[in-house]
Amino acid sequence: MIEFLSTYSAAIGMTPASAVTTVFGAFIATFCVIVSWPKLVEKFGPIGGFMAAAFVIGTFWLLNHKLPGWGINPDQIAGPDGHPMQFGLINQAFHGSCPWVDMGSAIFAGFWVNGIVGKAKGERMKAVVESLPRIFWALLGGVVGGVLTGFVGFSGAKLFN
Amino acid sequence: MKRHLGTFIGGMVVGSLSFGVWPEMWKSYGIMGGFLTATFVIGLAWFMNHYIGVIDNPPDGLWVDQGLPIFGAGVSWGIVRFWPADGGCAYMFSALCKIWPTLVFCLIGGALAGVAAHVVKQVAPGWNGQKEVSK
Repeated sequence: MIEFLSTYSAAIGMTPASAVTTVFGAFIATFCVIVSWPKLVEKFGPIGGFMAAAFVIGTFWLLNHKLPGWGINPDQIAGPDGHPMQFGLINQAFHGSCPWVDMGSAIFAGFWVNGIVGKAKGERMKAVVESLPRIFWALLGGVVGGVLTGFVGFSGAKLFN
Repeated sequence: MKRHLGTFIGGMVVGSLSFGVWPEMWKSYGIMGGFLTATFVIGLAWFMNHYIGVIDNPPDGLWVDQGLPIFGAGVSWGIVRFWPADGGCAYMFSALCKIWPTLVFCLIGGALAGVAAHVVKQVAPGWNGQKEVSK
């Protein structure tokens, strides 16, 4: 069992144990945000939102995304198998060579599904169709922002290497 | 259309802030840098996107969270920022094809949590009106 769980699977780009921890990490982070965040805002106003951002996102960032290391080029720390070590619950597939998949995808999916199951059965399809253009523009905005931020890699600056 | 412009710009801001600031703070200050960035970046972006309402969320519509642009920005930033010198379309597509395991597992976990939260909210005292939580 332990051998099966800790054997790297090329089909899914991670070990079965990492698949379990990814689903679990996404689940608890999303559940905590959906249940706590609106109530904190209701009670404390915008201050409650800042508290939620610090406590919920900060803590779940540590649980889900923290990579080992501290200092310049910490991602060079390699495990026994020669690949960068990952201790976060959300595993970046293919030994971390995939572009960064954030737990924001889980939180978005959670809020969206939570809205769907909260609707009456006849109105669900209409609500989904109504949300699609907003999803498109939000995702496009994120992609454009990420590309423009990533352009710093093209600036030719050689600061540390 | 103006509402979609707001959604677009709000997504750009939160995506750029997250991946321009977070890795640098983590590299400089470790775990505490991550907490600080969560407070400043997510707090600021949440205030703008969801409290002010720059991302379009009509009262009776499905909630579109700023996690979606953060996810999109993470993928596109990861591809562009670490673009190899000999990179091209082949590099971009192979990188895009690698996101699916993590993404699928994240979406499964998130969707399960959405359903679970819907069930739990019906019985949790803070949500079903048995307990006064408002001011």
